[in-house]
Order: sequence, then C-alpha cells, then structure tokens
Amino acid sequence: MIKNPSIRDLARGEGPVTELNVKDQEPLPPPYDKLDEEPPMAALSSSAKERFVNLDNTIAVNIPKPKTKAEEERLVKGFLSGMQKLFNAGDNWTFLQPLVLSMEHCARCQTCSESCHIYAESGHNPLYRPNYRSEIFRRLYFKHIKKEGTWARGDMELNWEAVARLIELAYRCNLCRRCAQTCPIGVDNGMMAREIRKLASQELGIRPKELHDDGSMLQQKVGSSTGMSSIVVKDNMDFIDEEMTEKTGLTLKTPWDVEGADVLLMHNAGEILAWPENPGAFGILLEAAGVSWTLSSDLAAYDSINYGAFYDDVQLARTLILHIQAAKKLKVKKILIGECGHAHKAMTVIADRILTGDLNIPRESWLPFMVDIVRQGRIKFDKSRNDFPVTLHDPCNITRLMGISEPQREIMRAVVPEERFREMTPHGVNNYCCGGGSGFAIIGGHNFPDWRFRGPGRRKFRQILNAFQGEKMDKEHPKYVCAPCSNCKGQIRDMLKYYDAWEKAGINYGGLVELMVNAMPEAKPGFIDWEWH
Amino acid sequence: MAQLKVGDFSLDLDEDGFIQQPEKWDKNVALALAETEGVNELSEKHWKLVNYLREYYQKFGVAPMIRKVCKDTNMKLNEIYELFPSGPAKGACKVAGLPKPTGCV
Repeated sequence: MIKNPSIRDLARGEGPVTELNVKDQEPLPPPYDKLDEEPPMAALSSSAKERFVNLDNTIAVNIPKPKTKAEEERLVKGFLSGMQKLFNAGDNWTFLQPLVLSMEHCARCQTCSESCHIYAESGHNPLYRPNYRSEIFRRLYFKHIKKEGTWARGDMELNWEAVARLIELAYRCNLCRRCAQTCPIGVDNGMMAREIRKLASQELGIRPKELHDDGSMLQQKVGSSTGMSSIVVKDNMDFIDEEMTEKTGLTLKTPWDVEGADVLLMHNAGEILAWPENPGAFGILLEAAGVSWTLSSDLAAYDSINYGAFYDDVQLARTLILHIQAAKKLKVKKILIGECGHAHKAMTVIADRILTGDLNIPRESWLPFMVDIVRQGRIKFDKSRNDFPVTLHDPCNITRLMGISEPQREIMRAVVPEERFREMTPHGVNNYCCGGGSGFAIIGGHNFPDWRFRGPGRRKFRQILNAFQGEKMDKEHPKYVCAPCSNCKGQIRDMLKYYDAWEKAGINYGGLVELMVNAMPEAKPGFIDWEWH
Repeated sequence: MAQLKVGDFSLDLDEDGFIQQPEKWDKNVALALAETEGVNELSEKHWKLVNYLREYYQKFGVAPMIRKVCKDTNMKLNEIYELFPSGPAKGACKVAGLPKPTGCV
C-alpha cells in the first residue's frame, strides 16, 4: 500500500494502489468533531479482493481479474482501439473538440486539485486528484495515438492492470466539473473521466450493472430503471393522487396522455417510488397555477432518467429519442424536466448537440418555469408555515452546468422566512457535489456506499453542518436540507442515515416543491412530515 | 458467488445477499434469508409483511412503494424497521425473495 502513489504506480502489479485512509481526514464540524467517534468505513471483503480488480480497496465497476493471457490482451487491445475511436471525428463528433483541447493544452499547474471535494476530503491522497487520471490518459494518448516521444510528455506503461484500474478510477469522479470551472484555461477533467467510462462501455462492455443492465437497459425494455411498467406507474400515481388529496385537502387527479397539453412533465421515476410527495407536490402546484400539463405513459417517457449521461453516448441517444418521441406523439408545446439533475444535462445541454430537425422540440427546466408562476402571483404562499432552518443544495447539473442559480433562491424567498434561510459556503455555481453524482448514489456494491459517504459526500455533509452551526443540534429542532434532484436526495438521505443525523442533530432533507406546498395556505398544514425519513 | 443453503439445495446470492432466482422462493428460503438479516424467527407480523410484498411482486414484477406497504399492511415505517432492522427494501424485500431495487430509489 502506498500513501502517495505516483502516476506510474497505476501500472504496478497486483493489489490496491492505495486507499482512502479515514485517519488522514479532517474532522467535521460539531457535533461530529471527533474523528474517532465517526461510524467506521466497512472493509472490502476478501472474496471481492480475490475476484475483482482492486484499485483502492473499494469497488464500483466489478471488473473480473483476467484468467488468461488472452483476457489480459483483450483489455489492452480494446483500450487502444477505443482510444483511437475517441479521437476520430466520425466516431466521437459530439465530444472530440473539448477532448482534444483538454489533451493538448493542460499546463499541469494542478490548480484543479484543491477544487476537487474528493481529493480534498481524502486527506489529499494523490490518486483522487482530477489530473492524476487525466495525466495517465494524456500520456497514453501522446504515446499511442499521436506517437510522440515520451521525453516531452512523460511515459506511462500500458498493461492490463493500468487499463482496468484506469476504468475503475473513472468511477472515483462525480463528473461535477468543478475542476473544469477552476482551470484557468478550461481543461475539463470531469469530461475526460466520462470519456474513459464511455470507452470502457462502448468498446469493452465494462460498466457498473446498476447503470447499464439494471439502469438504461431496463428502462428501454420495461419503461423505467425502477422496473415500473406503465401499468404499475399509473397505479402508483393513482395512489399518490389519493394520498395527496387526503393530505392537502386539494383534489389531485394526475392527467395522463393528454394530447395537445402545453407541458409534458417528466419525473425521475425514483421520485414516484421513494419520494411520492415530490410528484404529488408538482401536481398540486401545476393545478393551483392553472397549467395545462400531462404525464406520458409511453415507454421510458414517465422516467426522465438517462444514465447514458454517466457512461455511454449510444445509450444516452437511445433513451433521449424515446423521451422526444413521446412528446411528439402528444403534440405538447414543451417537455418540462422535474427535480432530476442528470435529466437536465441529458435532455437539454447534451441533447442540444444531438437533436436535429423536428426532433428538436423545446425542453425546459422546471425552475425557470416555476419562478415565472411565482412572480406572477399565481400561487399564494404563507412563509410562516416553513418556520424552521433551511439550507439549499445546488445540483451540479442544474446549477454549475446550466447556470440556473437564482430561480431556486427566488422561490426560496417566496416560501421560507428570510431569517430562516442559510446559504452553504460556497454555493450557486461554485457549489460542491453531494457526493452521489454521476451514478454513485445508486452504485451500492461492496463497501462502495461507505466510501462515497466518507470521501465524495464528506464535503457536502461538512457544508450542511456548517450551514446549521448556531442552531440547536437535536431532533427537537428540525432542520431541512433542500436538495432539488433525485440523485442528490438519495445520496443525502443515505449519508444522513450513515451519520444518524436526524437522531443526533435533527437534520432532515427533501426537495423544493415540498417546501412550496408546505407553505400553501389553501392546503392543510403539515405537508412536510418530519417523522418520515 | 455467495450461496444460500436451504435444506439440501442452495441458491445463488448477489453481493448484497439478494437471491438471483426469485421463482425458487418458498417459506424455507424466507427463513434462511431472514437469518442472514439477523432475524432468527418470523412472527405472524413478519409473515404478513413478507406475504404482502411477495404477492405484490408476483402481480407487478416490482417492489411496491413503501407508503403503499405501510397503508395496505397497516404498519408504520418504524414498525417495519423493528421487524427487519435493515428496512423495507434491504430487509423485508430481501426476505420476500424480491431482487434488489433498481433505479434512483
């Protein structure tokens, strides 16, 4: 085990290169300020170590160790042919330009290192530097694709260990792109991590099963990554309608497949199963504002997720087309994307480069849409109903990527008393990732969840605790972390549980639409249920 | 791959201890799975929950919403945690022979 691995250590023989050592970590703010009283990080089992490639004593991808020379060679050859394709306009026209710029122009100043929450919270383990991964990829590119001398760019051995570990290492990055934002010349290490994931998936068929088999493939086959068919999702929404009607006293009947509706709303279907108040609150708000809206029961159209955004361009395009076809069929004016960050990325920013002609139908984030409704006074709010401390998490794919920062704050000012709102430091486009980004929140094998709470998620937990310093940290004084993104919510839920933060500090979490409905004087009070977490 | 021994046969488990062939589930499998969850006996209340999950899964091919479970079985969420300490998804659904939940849940 090496504490400070160098670039070349990635190609070293058997065993982990290094590991996240919790003893190297900075203590958190109170009441978690004693490092040795934090919950332990589970060890990787010995059977997992025997079977799978081990980078750092945790595993996201489950790459089996090659058993024969031919399997070893397949990894190396596949990696080289995949890399060739990444730098070919015919194969990679979508990302070729930013990729080449990021390859050619990095000055290796390492300004990006400190901007990365994973590196900083790991106790500065070099393996987790954004440019550790990129520099390896860059050296291989100059050596094998551009065939330049290694004297200028540095050498890197290419063996199966390096390939397998580099793929695993592409899943130690949240793709939050805070490093790209910090880079003086815009080198995008986050995108490079995704390019490595893409190479592994499209050329070698290597990717986490949660994202592929149980994710995008299941969605394209059944209709949703949750496994819900259209019959099940309608049954569940009926149940939500009944529950919400009872809870708020406002009648909710979710409209399905309404042709010619103004707005086709797409939820992350995980909300329907795990956070039913969220789609319920959306319905209550849209009805109160008099919006002409509908859901679609077409294949994949009731689940806005597009895990291809995390690992595979082909899968991304396939799911995207299903989303667009459903909107075209219903002849809606636009698609409205609910509280899901990566759906924003897939359906707007990336889709803008893919959808042409009549496929390019308008797509909008729910936040600018809703802030207009709030400004026009189409829904009444009574802020005093949200009389508890609230902090706001900015989802990277909505805020840093798209620049949507002010709408959620304007809504916040309309529904939460000013003196109750606490900004995190930093926030807005300079936010930190929740630690669940890029699919981490649903990658749950081995001890990977513990790694993502102790590593990537630790900065967010630190920010949450800092935002609430000065409050009474017990459950008699409930506090709300508003996280308007399903993936962020899943991560924050699991991390609060890991730290027992409701029992110990009275910290709960939820979305933004729930806070809005909780403040509606027309609805019965108590929409937010503190006991349910 | 990990195995679950039930009488004289054994079933494949995934890395989180969920069975891989839901069609092979029966009461003895449930008891063996419960033991892996640290639940050594299944009371009437345990069975009520397990049977509900099982029937829903057989009808719809997916686990039910937790809210629905609570309403239809008339149990509070904390009661479910008392019965199965790892909770409705990782505990109760596992014992009922459902596969691991997928997607952003």
